[in-house]
Amino acid sequence: MKRIALAVAAAFAATAYTGSGVLAQEKTIKITGFGAKTGIIRLFGINSEAAMLAAAEVINQQGGVKLADGSKANIAVEFLDDRCNAEEGISVIRRIYGTDALAAVGPTCSNVAEPLFGILQKKVDDKGDSGLQMPVFTDVAIKGGLAKISEWAFRNVPSEWTMYSSLYYWLKTTKPEWKTVYGGVEEDFAHSRASWYAVMKDRAAANGYAVLGESKWLLNDSNFATQVREMKKANADILSIAAHPFTTCGLLKEMKRQNYKPKVLVGLTSTSSLEVMQGCPKDVEGMIIPTSFAPINKEAKFAAEQTAKKKGSADLHSMAAWENMFILKQVMESERISGDKSQLQVDRRKIRDGLAKLKTTKGLLGVTKRTEDREADKPYLFVHAKGGNWVVLHNPL
Amino acid sequence: MLDFLQAVLDGVLFGAIYALIGIGFTLVFGVMHKINMAYAAASIGGAYCGLLVLQVMADAPVWLVFLCAFASGGLLGYLVYLTCFHFIPLSSPLATLMSTVGMLLLIDEIIVHSTDGRPQNHPAVFDEVMLRAGEFSMRGDLLFVFAVAVLCMIALLLLLYRTRLGLATRAVSQQPVAAQLCGIRVARVNALTFVVTGLLGGGAGALIGASVGTLSPLLTLPLTVKGLIVTVIGGLGSVPGAIVAGLLVGGFENAFQLFRGVTERDLYVMLLLFVFLVFRPGGLFAARGGRD
Repeated sequence: MKRIALAVAAAFAATAYTGSGVLAQEKTIKITGFGAKTGIIRLFGINSEAAMLAAAEVINQQGGVKLADGSKANIAVEFLDDRCNAEEGISVIRRIYGTDALAAVGPTCSNVAEPLFGILQKKVDDKGDSGLQMPVFTDVAIKGGLAKISEWAFRNVPSEWTMYSSLYYWLKTTKPEWKTVYGGVEEDFAHSRASWYAVMKDRAAANGYAVLGESKWLLNDSNFATQVREMKKANADILSIAAHPFTTCGLLKEMKRQNYKPKVLVGLTSTSSLEVMQGCPKDVEGMIIPTSFAPINKEAKFAAEQTAKKKGSADLHSMAAWENMFILKQVMESERISGDKSQLQVDRRKIRDGLAKLKTTKGLLGVTKRTEDREADKPYLFVHAKGGNWVVLHNPL
Repeated sequence: MLDFLQAVLDGVLFGAIYALIGIGFTLVFGVMHKINMAYAAASIGGAYCGLLVLQVMADAPVWLVFLCAFASGGLLGYLVYLTCFHFIPLSSPLATLMSTVGMLLLIDEIIVHSTDGRPQNHPAVFDEVMLRAGEFSMRGDLLFVFAVAVLCMIALLLLLYRTRLGLATRAVSQQPVAAQLCGIRVARVNALTFVVTGLLGGGAGALIGASVGTLSPLLTLPLTVKGLIVTVIGGLGSVPGAIVAGLLVGGFENAFQLFRGVTERDLYVMLLLFVFLVFRPGGLFAARGGRD
């Protein structure tokens, strides 16, 4: 009995020793994600978190990140909720800055990204600017041109300007007989407004379409009778809807009631997700959307599968978060970060400089070009709703 | 002119939804002289529960979804009563008001967390029916909602004026202390009022889901606001008032939208509320002053 007790004690001591030894050798690099995890766009946060966790797991399984001294470190992911609220977002980034996180990935909403980038240091090495010196690598907030606010802000979101330009060009080429476009816009949501007024409307006109006008509604609206009558009266060939899933579904159902069928429906980038397919799978049939993600190759399928294991779904937003993790790993290694907590601010600066240096990055659909103002020029394709799924319609690249 | 009339007609029909919610608000106020801010959220919660039927049986008939929503609404109504009224001192009007606001947010977040905020497709009734008269058209499903609202009003009036429960409810509403002295169990009557309004709310939630076509947590707050406006304009405690005010608010809303645009629409609806509060604070169907 005494022997058994001794053996158990020895085994326990050995395990404890080995465990602490491993812990002593193992360094961890923390990347903190943030985005909306409450409210109606909670799904965006859930998907981004799942994609980041999945990517970190894959990186760690492949040996982790190589540090300046040649040792390896694992990546740890934490995700904070900013509730798609500007004040919360600013509070969250200040909290992240106070931790040992090397970089932040987020936010979900453009109305959070804009003020949040505003509290980062505008220009690096500006001694008079006490803004936060924290690299923020955005995965979701898509409103154009936000990264130019601060040299610490980077984005890996597709350019709606380029994508809609290409989509209207393609429609013009394939269906030259279609001449007119009418818009539908969720007037009180920053992304929807920016997408219609600054992108879709402009790009349609630039491609030779006559833009006949737009109908407006609010994010909370549930009655679209008047708007659909306006659309019907305009009788445009193409109806472009810049709205999120709930009102998109409400509008499509009202269009069905009033028996209004434009020749083609163009949707907002964020709509190419599962939400619309759950809300109005039949009514959305045929809608075309440009997107920077579809599981069309081995890598993209693998990323989608790994994200699904973490209970997230793969779309253009969450897969940007996946890509961000691999880009950050690449930069950590190329810039030879130390991984020491005492050198945290030096490492953060290295990450910023490394991200700024990138001319191209490897994305799931191909090579992404990085622009001078720290934005991405991502590969994209057109998908359409078919049989309750988003199916690739055309690859313009 | 034609556009204006059609817009008003669309709005009046959609106002039937506001009327259904307004009835629930007004009934609780009529009996307990309290505002149940969680009513619209609980109604939508009931409708979400109705959708659970489709998870168990994908091809379940629509009436079963409605029945489940109806029953769930009653249960939720009772839960709201227990958590926000039964254990809270009724002498403090703010306490119950705040507890129901808390319940509204709680139900909202429960819906968001259980659905991840995704809109849920809701089976429709009479969705394909569109009545046409010349240039005008009317949605069949909204006419159905209107008919249900009128039926609810008749049923509630029968309940209030032709049953013992109704008599007890009116007694509690007019003089709770005297009612208690007559042997009426006030707490039971209050609880039953919440169950009845909950049942009505569950049905209303399902009808809203059917007429909008989709359920979303985004529905709860606007319906709460519109329900309150309807209750005030109709006259606190007046069931017919809630119906008339619901249709009125719906019609005005669409007319304002047509003339002033969607961004100014709600501004004018609020102004309408202020006009009523200033010039006719008792609402359209203000209850006559009693001996008390």
